[in-house]
Amino acid sequence: MRAPRSNAARALRAVAPLLAFALACAERPWHGILLDPPSAAPPLAVARGDGSRFTLASARGAVTVVYFGYTFCPDVCPTMMADWTRARRALGADTARVRFVFVSVDPGRDSPAIAQGYARQYDAAFEGYATTDAELALILRDWGIAAYPEGDPRTPNYTVAHPAHAYVVDAAGRLRLMIPPGVRGEQIAEDLRRLR
Amino acid sequence: MSRSLKTSAACASALGILLACGGERPPAAAASAAAFVAVGAWARAADSGATTAAYLTVRNGTAVADTIVGVASDAAASTDLHESMESHGMMHMASLAAVPVAAGDSVVFAPMGKHVMLTGTTRGLAAGDTIALTLRFSSGRTLEVRAGVRQP
Repeated sequence: MRAPRSNAARALRAVAPLLAFALACAERPWHGILLDPPSAAPPLAVARGDGSRFTLASARGAVTVVYFGYTFCPDVCPTMMADWTRARRALGADTARVRFVFVSVDPGRDSPAIAQGYARQYDAAFEGYATTDAELALILRDWGIAAYPEGDPRTPNYTVAHPAHAYVVDAAGRLRLMIPPGVRGEQIAEDLRRLR
Repeated sequence: MSRSLKTSAACASALGILLACGGERPPAAAASAAAFVAVGAWARAADSGATTAAYLTVRNGTAVADTIVGVASDAAASTDLHESMESHGMMHMASLAAVPVAAGDSVVFAPMGKHVMLTGTTRGLAAGDTIALTLRFSSGRTLEVRAGVRQP
């Protein structure tokens, strides 16, 4: 003889798959810092070595990862770039819709060719752009970030203080995510895969 | 030969290699010097004339504290001890004049922290290459280290 089921048990059975689905989807933590609600990404425009211009607005349609660093940076920037290399590898089929953009905040030493060569040594698809003093001033103002030489910029070995995080702009041009230093490439890829 | 004996033999030869790589000077201090070693040294690949970094762990197995006060390398125009640090969302770097290594302790130079900054590499450093580093200590001790180059 079958025991009569309670209404509660029957109801639970009915919603169990929904519950499981909700748990699986919701609250998967982001590795980066989610900017919620997102806002329009600030403008970013720099001249390329060939005289053409790169603008962030022209990258609309792709998820774009942006990092403000400098090529003479011996430790932090190469670590972030190496994580990007691993992220791009881990993205697999999603690679095509993600752009990785390194923007130099060291106009004194980084030329367009140096910045491009620097980015490409990590992955041929990475983009590297130098800034002029005027371009950099606009970027710092519009992004609300800082970058400045530490030590004597007239000597060849000065270092540059620069933002710690990489920024992720979604395909609609909204600033969605900040990636702190130390997030592994595979984790970056997981976050990027969730953005459109 | 029993398994444990084999293991011991393997450990002994590994230790021998480790000590050989340490390349301690002066030889007169061999007894205590044998326990002062650099392990896991590596440098990040870079083009000639670039800036890059090397990393390692310095172990002081002796009973006496010592302090790293300088570093030199044949692979760069200038070589300095540096530390990266994050403060209020900004990345900064500071030059390190002295890095103490307490008796029985280790100091780790690793990405996003303490590192050997190589400025103006004298040649292109490719994965598989090896560079030489010489650490100088306040006691007068020097530690010769071979660092393998890795592609990031």
